[in-house]
Amino acid sequence: MTVAAGIGYALVALGPSLSLFVSVISRKPFLILTVLSSTLLWLVSLIILSGLWRPFLPLKANVWWPYALLVVTSVCFQEGLRFLFWKVYKRLEDVLDSFADRISRPRLFLTDKLQIALDYSSQLHAAGGLGHGVAHAVFFCLSLLTPAFGPATFYVERCSKVPFFLISAIIGLAFVTIHTFSMVIAFEGYAKGNRVDQVIVPVIHLAAGMLTLVNFASEGCVIGVPLLYLVASLTLVHCGKMVWQRLLETRNQSSASG
Amino acid sequence: MAMGLTRLVAIAFALLLVSILPLHVSLAGEITSIESVPDLQKLMYVAVDGYPCVRLLNLSGEIGCSNPGLNKVVAPIIKLKDIKDSDQQHTILVTADEMEDFFTRVSSDVSFASKIGGVLVESGSSFQHKLTGFSPDKKFPQAQFSPYENVDYKWNSAASSIMWKNYNFPVYLLSESGISAVQEILSKKKMKHETYTTDVAEFNMVMETTKAGTHNSEACLQEGTCLPLGGYSVWSSLPPISVSSSNKRKPIVLTVASMDSASFFRDKSFGADSPISGLVALLGAVDALSRVDGFDNLKKQLVFLVLTGETWGYLGSRRFLHELDLHSDAVAGLTDTSIETVLELGSVGKGLSGGVNTFFAHKTRVSSVTNMTVDALKIAQDSLASMKIKILSADSANPGIPPSSLMAFMKKNPQTSAVVLEDFDTKFVNKFYHSHLDDLSNINSSSVVAAASVVARTLYILASDNKDTSNSALGSIHVNASFVEELLTCLLACEPGLSCNLVKDYISPTNTCPGNYAGVILGEPSSKPYLGYVGDVSRFLWNFLADKTSVQKGNTTSVCSKGVCSKSDEVCIKAESNKEGACVVSTTRYVPAYSTRLKYNDGAWTILPQNSSDSMGMVDPVWTESNWDTIRVRVYTVQHSAYDNAVLVAGITVTTLAYIGIMATKSLITKALKQD
Repeated sequence: MTVAAGIGYALVALGPSLSLFVSVISRKPFLILTVLSSTLLWLVSLIILSGLWRPFLPLKANVWWPYALLVVTSVCFQEGLRFLFWKVYKRLEDVLDSFADRISRPRLFLTDKLQIALDYSSQLHAAGGLGHGVAHAVFFCLSLLTPAFGPATFYVERCSKVPFFLISAIIGLAFVTIHTFSMVIAFEGYAKGNRVDQVIVPVIHLAAGMLTLVNFASEGCVIGVPLLYLVASLTLVHCGKMVWQRLLETRNQSSASG
Repeated sequence: MAMGLTRLVAIAFALLLVSILPLHVSLAGEITSIESVPDLQKLMYVAVDGYPCVRLLNLSGEIGCSNPGLNKVVAPIIKLKDIKDSDQQHTILVTADEMEDFFTRVSSDVSFASKIGGVLVESGSSFQHKLTGFSPDKKFPQAQFSPYENVDYKWNSAASSIMWKNYNFPVYLLSESGISAVQEILSKKKMKHETYTTDVAEFNMVMETTKAGTHNSEACLQEGTCLPLGGYSVWSSLPPISVSSSNKRKPIVLTVASMDSASFFRDKSFGADSPISGLVALLGAVDALSRVDGFDNLKKQLVFLVLTGETWGYLGSRRFLHELDLHSDAVAGLTDTSIETVLELGSVGKGLSGGVNTFFAHKTRVSSVTNMTVDALKIAQDSLASMKIKILSADSANPGIPPSSLMAFMKKNPQTSAVVLEDFDTKFVNKFYHSHLDDLSNINSSSVVAAASVVARTLYILASDNKDTSNSALGSIHVNASFVEELLTCLLACEPGLSCNLVKDYISPTNTCPGNYAGVILGEPSSKPYLGYVGDVSRFLWNFLADKTSVQKGNTTSVCSKGVCSKSDEVCIKAESNKEGACVVSTTRYVPAYSTRLKYNDGAWTILPQNSSDSMGMVDPVWTESNWDTIRVRVYTVQHSAYDNAVLVAGITVTTLAYIGIMATKSLITKALKQD
């Protein structure tokens, strides 16, 4: 499909991540480190999953329940890993905080402190989520994109309206969105002890995973992909609501104290 | 908050249920599983199997097909009947019955030819019964070598001459699997969007002579971008000739057949009737005669000669006769005695009609020798009463002998007395002469067995100079019909092809599918060539003939591991398939076959100037074949460039919108925080 189309597909899947990286993440070195280590961690998790599932592959192509099992076990593994990631992050944050306090003794007003906390933690969590999303997009979409730079195109029989690469890029974009904002929701939930937020993330991840199984049906991608985007927008909205609430809390706190 | 939680969880679970429910019904059909990126590439770019038409050159120009330049040809596929006027070049899908008209039109209509990017020929079995005849060769093949004046005589009635023209586009004959691959891609198109995808064929058939700009034999041989056509002929004598012995040599009865054919497509030219049926009949006769004792006591010596390169200017016969003149090593033992009689086996595969096998004996000239040969044929025919064979003399209204190696023998020596046995009289009965359709289904094995039987007995009669039919030795000469049938499937089919037991007993073949095209001559021509440069069929014939014409000296056979035997009159046979061969006493030699106008010097070929003493060399086109890197045809689907650009624009738009959204959110948050 030529170089133009190949670049187009790559941008559809990873363009927004690139925008996020350029506008927010690239300004703070620590965020860049977070993205990189998060990507590495999630890629390793996917490799471990493939290793665990290797003896059972290739799966029979005309039954759907082995694939459902694959999705469920992978999601559970990754959510468990996310919780572990949170624990490590918490340890690290405490260490860094005490270190910073000892060295710099910032003379900040509470408002500034709270603002930094809001800015800083959301951005950090978003960076972690972005790493997760980018890992997913690279593993599932970008790795298949090399043939798209050649002259030929490819249509899958079960989704014959759209070229294979385009569908793959669109699904990749949806998952990048879901993963980026899920991380913010999840870590907020763990920090505040909010049950809703803690549970909603695995549920969304599982739902998104199961929705991809709909693509098995003939022309199922016509239903599956819009539903996936519904889930992605839900994640976005929930995260937005959550950040807004924290913003209001911060403002109230600062006006109360200042 | 609690309400929000319940709502969200409810929605999520609803989605989960929605996703699982439809799956109970929908998983019908096979998914071709893609397990890696190379798998994906194989599904995207479908490799198509088939046989190319390649570029051949002669002294004055080129024939055949090639990519017009240095690049691959990529053109959308269209069926011949769907062609409309358009500026774009297309890949035309032509069926076998449309081929003759199509190529004739291409040669005469320049505007039509300019619309052709490439050609795919479909020659499945469904089209073959529509064709009554198809021959891409000329009306009088190789007429310039004819020893008689009438060169307008129409020997080949189905002739179209299309294989001798020059085409500036690639042509590819699809195999059975190739046809199904192309049909599959074309049928998928009906499911898809005709508006923004096209199915294209990509031809990678760049010929080196096109790249180097050498457009005739002389230029390309100088640049080393081509090689001359030729190969190795094989001769063997029964019984073996003792070169060192001073015994008086017996006069020779020479039996000739050829092993090479040609067609529009280089690798699909079985040549079943013309000339392989004659070759198999000769081998059947040799096999029968090898079981007869007492050849030493006969009055004459039998020599069997199988020539190659005959289709391309009688290269085999001309070089053989030249080597005889030179008294070279290749023909040691033949030169100091006279070749008294020559019998050629031409096409003998279509003699069966109405339950009778009829063959025609064409004489080069009327003489006592040719009369004797025909008499011997008739005696042999009578002795084989049960086989219902009829030998007839050719019509005296014929202008002379049909196109055959004897034309070269006659041109060299007009006094040659020889007979060629064919299954036709006034014109070819083979309606697929030199086409890709002259295969096993075009001949009848019983006709070949009948020809072999009559020739075996004729040769015995000629060698013994004995006209007594009640001779018990004559009656004991029987051709093994199952041997002949097996050999036909070895040389004229891809299954089992050259991997059949009969051939594998003697050699390790490099290809399974017999390509009876002569090919190019590799390396330095010599009577003891490097065997890696000698073709499969030549090596098989050498080993087979050496085995059948050998005599056992004593009871011990020594083994030879490097192809060398201790005694000078011994040769090492079967040295390829077994690690160790056997040494047998036999006179079997390779004779290189290449144009008498060519000379090999220091790794390069040069063309010798015309020599008036070599009349055949004066009219020899000196055929060469271009070198090439790869020959490959792929078929795939392509998007229109508008679509590709739309995808790029979409990607850039998504990225930009995301950037704007992020910046807006950032400023919103900052403003909200600073509001106090």
